[in-house]
Amino acid sequence: MIKNLSDNFTIFFKRIYKKLLSKYSYIFKSSLVCIICIPIFLKLFNWVIFKFNWNVVISNLPLFAFGSFPTSKIWRPIVWIIYIFILFCLSILNFNKKWINRNLLFGWISSIPLGVFLLYGGIGLTPVMTRNWGGLTLTIFLTICSLFLSLPIGIALAFCRQSSLIIVKKISSLYIDIMRAIPLISVLFFGQLLIPLFLPYGVEVDRVWRAIFAFTMFLSAYIAEDIRGGLQSIPYTQIEAANSLGLNQYQIMWFVEIPQSIQIALPALTNQSIGLLQNTSLMSILGLVELLGVGRSILANPEFIGQYIEVYIWLASVYWLICTMIAILSRNLEKKILVRKSYF
Amino acid sequence: MEPVIKAKNISKSYQKGILALDDVSLEVNQGKVLVVMGPSGSGKSTLIRTFNGLETFDNGELNVLGISINSSPDIRNIKRIRKRVGMVFQQFNLFPHLSILDNITLAPINVQNRSRFEAEEFGMLLLSQMGINSHAQKYPGQLSGGEQQRVAIARALALKPDLLLFDEPTSALDPERINEVLDAMRNLANQGMTMIVVTHEINFAKEVSDQILFMDSGKVIEESTPDIFFSNAKHERSRKFLNQLIN
Repeated sequence: MIKNLSDNFTIFFKRIYKKLLSKYSYIFKSSLVCIICIPIFLKLFNWVIFKFNWNVVISNLPLFAFGSFPTSKIWRPIVWIIYIFILFCLSILNFNKKWINRNLLFGWISSIPLGVFLLYGGIGLTPVMTRNWGGLTLTIFLTICSLFLSLPIGIALAFCRQSSLIIVKKISSLYIDIMRAIPLISVLFFGQLLIPLFLPYGVEVDRVWRAIFAFTMFLSAYIAEDIRGGLQSIPYTQIEAANSLGLNQYQIMWFVEIPQSIQIALPALTNQSIGLLQNTSLMSILGLVELLGVGRSILANPEFIGQYIEVYIWLASVYWLICTMIAILSRNLEKKILVRKSYF
Repeated sequence: MEPVIKAKNISKSYQKGILALDDVSLEVNQGKVLVVMGPSGSGKSTLIRTFNGLETFDNGELNVLGISINSSPDIRNIKRIRKRVGMVFQQFNLFPHLSILDNITLAPINVQNRSRFEAEEFGMLLLSQMGINSHAQKYPGQLSGGEQQRVAIARALALKPDLLLFDEPTSALDPERINEVLDAMRNLANQGMTMIVVTHEINFAKEVSDQILFMDSGKVIEESTPDIFFSNAKHERSRKFLNQLIN
């Protein structure tokens, strides 16, 4: 074991020597890079470790995580986030158990009702108003709800756009074109300010759900286009084969077209979900206290005034961490698909 | 006994003036193997694809397994035909996102409403008949061409069809792999399956077929038994084609 490790080290150093120091020109270039980079890194470390006052982050960690969720009920968002983290781990670790793979999608979809139940309350749990939701919990909730709601709508729009009924086709392509021509922030304003005006008197939709509604409207147009790209790259012979087996139109859609188009569109869908996660930060302008909103409200506190850099570096690293997790997840899925991919 | 397929004066044109099928008539009886030969573009594939409704035709009458379809067929009749007619394609056309066993059980479960257990059992039986039951959990992309084509045959057989259509099943395979597919087809013929095969494999046609149809530019040039066709073809065009194929 130890010998193995030392062998690996020798190989590692040999490779470094060969790649960076084996020629005079290499030595020159390496030292040039070192001269430029080392002072920058030293200064950065000096700042990060000694100059910055991380107290602003450390003392507010529960606020960043859960917003102003009542302290006595804080186990509820914790349970939900742990549930999602377990799902994430199950998805990236490759279990060759068929039932796990089959139920993973179901697990992800059921994270929405579970989240609603745990955060909102009801049935045995005391209700918590949405104005108390916040922080990372709210960011993840907005992302997951909008993503899983806009996926089926996007797929439906993509199929409608290819429909042979001219009215259905025109309406869905009009919707997609309009949604892609409007900036997200105006869709969000529409969701927050105009929807209450359209609703009948006495009916009220919560702010969080209005935000999810707006995100879903916006995102489904983009997902529809990604899925359409996937649909168009399915060879026609696949449909013919399904036809010759006697499957009907809807069975072909469900068993052949949708799975294949999602597999093809997966990299684009990952892109959309990472974009969505970052776009949820726009809601801090519209009064939801999600991750960025918590940062802004902390900076408004006289106690921590002027500590912008610490807070924003912290927020950037949290966003980076979650985006990387999404990227890892999708890379794993792609790898699984690649194994199955055909030669032809 | 009524023939499995009875076609009468079928014509079809993709563009005006160019006939893909020109007045084709034929009959195939229960348990017989019909081999369709001809140069490319002669309408062989179009003909065989009309038999399960993948192509429509403009004039004529067609009766498949007692279900008659005409130039503007009822979709329900086509569905009824497809449930009883299996088809094997040149490019296999397996579903790449499903495992081999799922490829085979997809239609029995969803079209014939059989239970998953029953369908999987029958699927494994078919796979072992084809000699590839060890690959059941793999995906099509992990198999060689010959194995994929045998899976495609098993998939067509999973619906327990009364008629099998083969559209150049060996043309996309490398020469070493052709025989394993032809052997599987030979076994099927020996078991009494009614088959219509579009192929260029002369030896297979000589051995297995009961009837040979030679087509050129949409017309049936010659229809005879293999003995007569390969030794003493009546028509000049078919002799020329055979010479080309043998050399």
